[in-house]
Amino acid sequence: MLEGLTNVVVKELKELLRDPKILIGMIVVPLLMFPIMGLVIRGSMESVEQRLQKLEVGLVDFDHGTFTENLTTFLQSVNVSIINIAASDLTEAAIFLQTKTNATDLIHIPEGVTENVSQKLPAMIEVLSIFSGAGGIIEMSGSEAVTGYLEYFKRTLAPDPFTTIVKSIVKGEVKDVPPSTLFTIAYSQVFILPVTISVLLVFSMQIAATSVASEKEEKTLETLLSLPISRFTILSGKLVGSIIVAAVGAIAIIFGFNYYMGSFALIGTPSPVDPSALGLAPTLTGYVVLGASVFMALLSALALAIIISAFSEDVRGAQSIVGYLYTLIMLPMFVIMFTDFNALPLIAKIVFLAIPYAHPMLAAQASITGNYLMAILGVVYVAVFTVALLYLASRLFATEKILTAKLKFRGFKLRRKKS
Amino acid sequence: MDLSLAVDAKNLVKVFGKITALDGLDFKVKSGDIFGLIGPNGAGKTTALRIVSTLIVPTSGSVRVYGYDVVRDPEEVRKLVSYLPEEAGAYKNLSGDEYLNFMAKFSSKSKKSIDATVGVAAEISGLGNRLRDKIKTYSKGMKRRLLVARALMTKPKLAVLDEPTSGLDVLHSVHVRETIRHYAEEQGIAVLLSSHNMLEVEYLCEKVALINQGRIIAEGSPEELKAKNEVDNLEKAFAKVVGLA
Repeated sequence: MLEGLTNVVVKELKELLRDPKILIGMIVVPLLMFPIMGLVIRGSMESVEQRLQKLEVGLVDFDHGTFTENLTTFLQSVNVSIINIAASDLTEAAIFLQTKTNATDLIHIPEGVTENVSQKLPAMIEVLSIFSGAGGIIEMSGSEAVTGYLEYFKRTLAPDPFTTIVKSIVKGEVKDVPPSTLFTIAYSQVFILPVTISVLLVFSMQIAATSVASEKEEKTLETLLSLPISRFTILSGKLVGSIIVAAVGAIAIIFGFNYYMGSFALIGTPSPVDPSALGLAPTLTGYVVLGASVFMALLSALALAIIISAFSEDVRGAQSIVGYLYTLIMLPMFVIMFTDFNALPLIAKIVFLAIPYAHPMLAAQASITGNYLMAILGVVYVAVFTVALLYLASRLFATEKILTAKLKFRGFKLRRKKS
Repeated sequence: MDLSLAVDAKNLVKVFGKITALDGLDFKVKSGDIFGLIGPNGAGKTTALRIVSTLIVPTSGSVRVYGYDVVRDPEEVRKLVSYLPEEAGAYKNLSGDEYLNFMAKFSSKSKKSIDATVGVAAEISGLGNRLRDKIKTYSKGMKRRLLVARALMTKPKLAVLDEPTSGLDVLHSVHVRETIRHYAEEQGIAVLLSSHNMLEVEYLCEKVALINQGRIIAEGSPEELKAKNEVDNLEKAFAKVVGLA
């Protein structure tokens, strides 16, 4: 029944892998993107570390008391360089800090602080940070370090009756890391993986649609269909070729992501964060579930793209029709990135779960949290959806519709003309 | 069932929506003959060839290829037929050799037989060392020669060639025509071809059917058609038959 399949698959692979668009988009980009992002993160963390090692802070003193002397001595003891700014008011001091120094933070000690502290009355000092607009962790790091040191200095003057240490519970285990740090890791995962999976899905659909439609456009499909080989073999050959390329793409994305996660462990900041040690990097099971989900979604996307493009007139038509399907990828991506799936109303959850391309994004979350049940059910659901698509495709490939059918979105065209 | 007939088309009708592409087409191609379907654009030539090649099915009527019905036994028909579509393309990222190997593997199983088939195609195409290059580097003429070679290399019992010299310059056209004629004579294969080029048809075909609006309006050898219409070439014969001259 499938005689000649190997021949068709080999041809498909040669055609696909020799196409630079596919090679670069599906394999090289995922393999390079994550490591590059990891290097960027490591680089910025190292910059923060270097900056904190020789931190410079401006100080404008309107108190002229012992408080400032003690504070200066303390800050110097923790290797913070103090730039004393003589100014008549705060604005003048801020301008001096911004124009004459490399420091980005200014400690303002108003008049009366020493007196208030000595009488155990509330006193207030200010930390002002220059806002450059660049954002990122480097800009935040200075003010956070200064406020941290001031907090510590405050405790030396008047120890708190108690201190609060914030820890996290991860998968039932207490971890000596504040939730804010974990949030930073989770945030990067929540954003990066769905975006990458979406890019991979969109790209592979586009390539598959182009590949099949160009067979029609260049009449290579017509020749292929006239050969002594079953239509199902031709369809299977196209799918197997696409599956192999998609599998390589999925493996590339998993390897790249693994490297990206590993780059967090390499950060040499005063409090290094290793997602693996915290149980926040995917385990082997997590990677397998994620890989299976991404692979199945890719297969499903490719099958859908092949079916649709086979019934388009030409490459442009196939691309525009496949373009309508991107909503099914983008919608779950935004939901995962900006909302909490568990907080969605029931009807929205059902709609979300009905979209096959939402499942690899849920699997991405599950690979971190370890809640695999939903992800595994998702893989099964997408597999069933894909089998149904393949059945439909094989039925359609067996008829002349593969050559004569022309999908047109007349409604869209008419609307466009009117506007 | 007449097994000496390469093609036996009877009362062939094909309707696409509101368009009737074939409207009761009858023709027969004898084994070993080169048969030409000629007519203007939209006459139904390509539709007829696609039905014979099992790519589409007739709305009514029947076609038998060496006794096999194209609708009931399409897989048997495909083993006997080699089809060359008009303006067909080839896989641009494969080399000429790879393309021919890919195609040869559907009809030959052993490596020796595949190599022999590809060797035949190399000879027919006359592309020499350029067969090692990727097809995307070929000119239109080179690509057509490759495709004609592909269609003939397997020594099919029936070659269905849709406008075999479409878009080619004189030199490439001559090469392709010579190849078809020489190969059909040498191998004794039947050829069913369509063409706009009356000179080409006159040169190649033993028998010609003039087709217009999905029907055969005249049939015979080129000499018979010219004599019957008292003209000196097929072009004039066609014009006279359709009432333009």
